[in-house]
Amino acid sequence: MTEKKKILGIVCERSVNLNKHLLGNRLKDKNNVIVVSMPCSGMIQPAMLEAGFKAGAEGVFVMGCQIGDCHFREGNKWCQDRLLGLRPPNIKKTVDKNRVRGLWLSQVDYKKFLEKVEKFEKELEKLPKEQTEKPTSPAAKV
Amino acid sequence: MMYQQTLQKLQTVTIAFEKWLNKVFSQQYNPFYYHGALPNFFMWTLFITGILLFVYFQPTLDSAFISVNYISTKVPFGSITRGLHRYAADAMMITVILHALRVYLTDRYRKYRWLVWYTGILLLIFMFVIGITGYILVWDERSYMIVLMLASALKQIPLIGGPLALTFVNGDLVTSYTMAMAFFLHVGISFLLLYGLWWHYLRISRPVTDVPLGLGLLLFASILIPAGVIPVISGKPAVLTQTPTEFPVDWFYLWIFPMFSSMPAMVVWTILFIITAILLAVPFLITDRPKSPATVSLENCVGCTLCAKDCPYEAIYMVPRTDHPKYKQLAVVIDARCAECGLCVGACAFKAIDLPYMNSQEVIAKIGDIMKEPVGAGV
Repeated sequence: MTEKKKILGIVCERSVNLNKHLLGNRLKDKNNVIVVSMPCSGMIQPAMLEAGFKAGAEGVFVMGCQIGDCHFREGNKWCQDRLLGLRPPNIKKTVDKNRVRGLWLSQVDYKKFLEKVEKFEKELEKLPKEQTEKPTSPAAKV
Repeated sequence: MMYQQTLQKLQTVTIAFEKWLNKVFSQQYNPFYYHGALPNFFMWTLFITGILLFVYFQPTLDSAFISVNYISTKVPFGSITRGLHRYAADAMMITVILHALRVYLTDRYRKYRWLVWYTGILLLIFMFVIGITGYILVWDERSYMIVLMLASALKQIPLIGGPLALTFVNGDLVTSYTMAMAFFLHVGISFLLLYGLWWHYLRISRPVTDVPLGLGLLLFASILIPAGVIPVISGKPAVLTQTPTEFPVDWFYLWIFPMFSSMPAMVVWTILFIITAILLAVPFLITDRPKSPATVSLENCVGCTLCAKDCPYEAIYMVPRTDHPKYKQLAVVIDARCAECGLCVGACAFKAIDLPYMNSQEVIAKIGDIMKEPVGAGV
């Protein structure tokens, strides 16, 4: 059995309610997904994503509330803008943005959350392995 | 606590409902994501239509009724303007109640938000005064009735009641001063509303005050259609020698009058007083863990202003500093305004601002640690 890819999720505690679905820091339904919760997605620093990759995560997703609704008014907007590179501080250029996702879901969206994480996992599998298969990326062909 | 658990469940229901509304309106136009801007939209409609009505309205006992009827029948678009003014007032009350319910149900009214809640109550009281005095200006039977009932009810309040009643009547007499006062209060407090709103926005960075164009058109249609289909008309003209006995009630603004007619005035005032007291007490019913606002590190802060820009509650400001050779500014947190949300932490790339109860460096260390745990650990 090949080991599943480790995925780190940095999530807002007010978005999808994961209390019942966690065992320690891992999702019960997908134990390769490790979750760290935050008071608001706006608190997530790019350094936290970088720390995840440094510690061996294949992919990192960030989860905040439905865009338009944030308990602290603007947290998810700032976080989304940071992922898009529109708002400082920026994520380091060495981080492969294909391995980063933002999910914007409300308290009651656990099902959608699982679907999106599974989709993210599949997309991660399609990506070339880091360092070893670099030349396949389109940018290198130029 | 029972109360808190119920609120928690209601919050989930509210958010699920909003989520469902996204299917109807799409996220960009969901009215609930602009719940504060909705009453604002109607308020500006009221200001504009109010100024238009003011052009033809004559605030005297003799000509008020006639001029209002003249607006309705002779002035081009007069009836529509009058209708818009009336229905926008009703719509404003509905949206204000929705706004208040929404912040209450989603737990966004207490702690660092108490001042916003309090000014909201003040604005609501202003709205009632503006609404009631607005109904006096028409000077039909209902207006006369309102003046009489209000004056006699005000007189019942000990100490301040007598002088307050004199605002509207001279002894028991309705005079030309009655109309002048009603007009002054209607217009004057409308402008006081703007001051109240400034207070309401004081602790909010970038308040959402406008709805998107599409939603605005929809809201405007929601008052324009009733204004066209059911035009607002006056009742019989007020005759000072005849005391009317009943009148149609506007349930958004005039609901206190059926109360006044069915029970002693002091009972009604007591009920209103209790309702206000409950509203004032609501933000303090739930106790939380003690406050631990964000703290700034003197060594690390470079004065980049990013945290001050990102703070959604105007809780961070920059002060000049002289203790550092290179950095000229320092971020300062206003503890009372801090929501402990961590948005400033997310904005800081220099480890300079942090939440005492959740240090960013500890979070980063924690991420490193739990990523190293093999699958199956922690069972």
